[in-house]
Amino acid sequence: MKPIERKSERLGERYFYQKHPSGLNIYVYPKQNYNSAYALFGTKFGSINNTFKIKGQDKTTKIPDGMAHFLEHKLFEGKDEDAFKKFARTGASANAFTSFDKTAYLFSCSDNFNESLKILLDFVQNPCFTDENVKKEQGIIGQEIKMYEDSPEWRVFFNLVKAMYQKHSVNVDIAGTVESIAQITPEILYDCYNNYYNLNNMCLSVVGDVDAERVFAIVESAVSSKKCNPIEVENIFESEPKEVSEAKTTQNLAVTLPLFNLGFKETIAKERVNAEDEIYTEIILSAISSKSSPLYKDLLDRGIINSSFGCQYFHGPWFASVIFSGESKQPDLVAEIIKKEILKARTNGIDNQTFERAKKMLYASYISMFNNNSTIAKFLLEDCFRETELFNYIEIFSNLSLDKVNKRLSEIMNESYSSLSVINPHE
Amino acid sequence: MTTPKTAKICEGVNFNFISDEKFKTTRVSFNIFLPLNIQTVSKYAILPAILVRSCKKYPSFTELNRQLEELYGAAIYQSVSKLGDVQVLSISAVGINDKFSLDNKPIMSEITELLCDVIFNPLLENNVFKLEDFNQEKRQLIETIEAEFNDKKTYAHNRCEEIMCKNEKAGINKFGTIELANELTPKDVTAAWREILESARIEITMIGNSSHDLVYEKFQKNFLNIQRKNVVKCENEIIRKCEKIHEFSETMDVQQCKLVMGFRTGLALPEKEVPHMILMCALYGGTPSSKLFLNVREKLSLCYYCFSSYTQIKGIMYVECGVEQKNIKKAQDEILKQLKEVKIGNFTEIELSEIKMAAIQSITKIKDNLTALDVWYTGQALCDRAKSPEEAIKEIESVTKEQVIEAANLVTLDTIYVLKGSEN
Repeated sequence: MKPIERKSERLGERYFYQKHPSGLNIYVYPKQNYNSAYALFGTKFGSINNTFKIKGQDKTTKIPDGMAHFLEHKLFEGKDEDAFKKFARTGASANAFTSFDKTAYLFSCSDNFNESLKILLDFVQNPCFTDENVKKEQGIIGQEIKMYEDSPEWRVFFNLVKAMYQKHSVNVDIAGTVESIAQITPEILYDCYNNYYNLNNMCLSVVGDVDAERVFAIVESAVSSKKCNPIEVENIFESEPKEVSEAKTTQNLAVTLPLFNLGFKETIAKERVNAEDEIYTEIILSAISSKSSPLYKDLLDRGIINSSFGCQYFHGPWFASVIFSGESKQPDLVAEIIKKEILKARTNGIDNQTFERAKKMLYASYISMFNNNSTIAKFLLEDCFRETELFNYIEIFSNLSLDKVNKRLSEIMNESYSSLSVINPHE
Repeated sequence: MTTPKTAKICEGVNFNFISDEKFKTTRVSFNIFLPLNIQTVSKYAILPAILVRSCKKYPSFTELNRQLEELYGAAIYQSVSKLGDVQVLSISAVGINDKFSLDNKPIMSEITELLCDVIFNPLLENNVFKLEDFNQEKRQLIETIEAEFNDKKTYAHNRCEEIMCKNEKAGINKFGTIELANELTPKDVTAAWREILESARIEITMIGNSSHDLVYEKFQKNFLNIQRKNVVKCENEIIRKCEKIHEFSETMDVQQCKLVMGFRTGLALPEKEVPHMILMCALYGGTPSSKLFLNVREKLSLCYYCFSSYTQIKGIMYVECGVEQKNIKKAQDEILKQLKEVKIGNFTEIELSEIKMAAIQSITKIKDNLTALDVWYTGQALCDRAKSPEEAIKEIESVTKEQVIEAANLVTLDTIYVLKGSEN
């Protein structure tokens, strides 16, 4: 199947997409005048995928917490040589990350791109797990876990997630715990790998100074021998109630200034929030809490927020929440004022001027994204797993309506389903 | 070739323009360089924040931000940083290029106008910064200082620098202290603003695809109203060697201990051997193929991160890692052992050429990032002449193994800082 070309007149750019016969989704986005390139090879396997069953079978299997992340670390070690050693010979800078719903392996470089791409495709497809190398990693990841335990920004966020989500596995630590990773063995690693690192479940996105034809040719020789059966794994998610687990959660850490995360849980009807709803949500967040908003002015005038104040729409498979965050000496008061403002917005509706301004801002942040190879590559990966399309967002911007904004506002940020997480200094 | 066109606006004030069509946005940054001094540090640190808050034309935070949002979410950022013994105040504006405007608004020209408004025509009441606004920024400066404590990695690094450089300007925190911030008054800070425009070393950098002549003219016009005086000199004191090692440790409620080791490298800008030290540092602890990563992390599993970084302007190298309390001494020993390995030349020509390749690629990548390009050039404002990424690459390419060994042998340990957990 020949690669399909997708164009954006407004941006003056284009990319190519192909669903390879092996099942792999491939995106190649050549960027003129760029000196470097970025490649991202990911799988739809993250920390939320902790329970699965094989199609046609009854038995459900639970995976130890921290498995996806552990696998990410382990994949770098090949049978003969570590992937970092291979990349050292091409000069590429490599890394990887595990998030709630995906694991991705990446590199960026300004030379020897073809060789580096071959290395990436090779090491991710050729695992080698042994008792010795599993044991070694437990020590390193143990240190990583401790590092995150000390991080007030991470803890305030994750404590919120735990407080909001009762059953959904988004409430599981991405790296697991020292105890949970101690249960990991090579056998379990291979099992997970075989189930989830199936090319039908995976995506390669390449952005920057590349020759598209060459990239497709390299992928062809790297995966053509792989016979990828259709995906047999079915992810099991427990049904999440509307209600949150706890309305407030606090923790004391070595901080001088308290941090807060205020979350509003949304119940979604489908696996993923669609692009339109996502954009309407971003517009609402901008309208309510941007720097020119009455809310921001009120909080600033009272001296209870600083430039760290912001908000995000946090969403993934079967979960979505709006989260306000920042540093504040009075987190409870901030939460109270935000909730009042949301109520006011729902009652009065968002006015047209504010709506137009929010649209402009969102549009510009979308355009700015295209400066950056890595941002585009991550967007493409996300698109692939969500079945949205990159350039389609421009279309959506041109068709937004104020009525739909106010309708969307009635669906999100329900005070009854909110939690406040605070990190306080020690007494 | 990424070389800026440079033009002098007046003595001590330069304007640089890098034309680059590939970016969708344009960036203009206004950077002020001042010697770090305990008398002035907080007074200067509060300035960028108070300036970007509002201006005479848009006399409130809300109004100014509304105007920026109307310009397609243009942003005016402010930051305070350090270049060795020098405090750097930066105010930068970023906006999408005019061609993306949906209503034919000349975005960049209006953003530049706003940038000049905030810098040259701030909101004053009775000739000083408005008290209400001033107090807001004072509070936020104090919170910024407090927030540095929250991130233990930053905190540990700052502490090591403070201790190591306690007799040098670089030992002063770039924001000053909470006590100093508390003592600030609108009168002092307004006077500081005037002083700075009259006598600080200033570097304006513009990168992108918009008309630079217009931008240059706007700044030039504004400086015509300023009576420029003698430009304040910004110098860096270089301590070549350390004779006596300093050790300092603190205890806090943390799960993971932080170890930061400061070294005097004996080489700093503008010496031409600086590229030798850059490579030495990369080989020692700058990549996942470096001695520190391969040994302290991979071989001995002592930590999740362990890396070295070199501050060219001060000639200082830091090694930082997160480690369990029981392994602190072990990690320290291994860190020093690996430095010795480089000193005695225990690395191959192949390893050196691989590190060179990694260093060269990482410099090349800067050309694809607007912010990184700005930082690259702004960071060289105090040098006689700014090197382009291409020039820096040529220098790296020609470094030999012997030169790397020579550079390593100039390095002496100065300070060991440890942040320990209270119960481990």
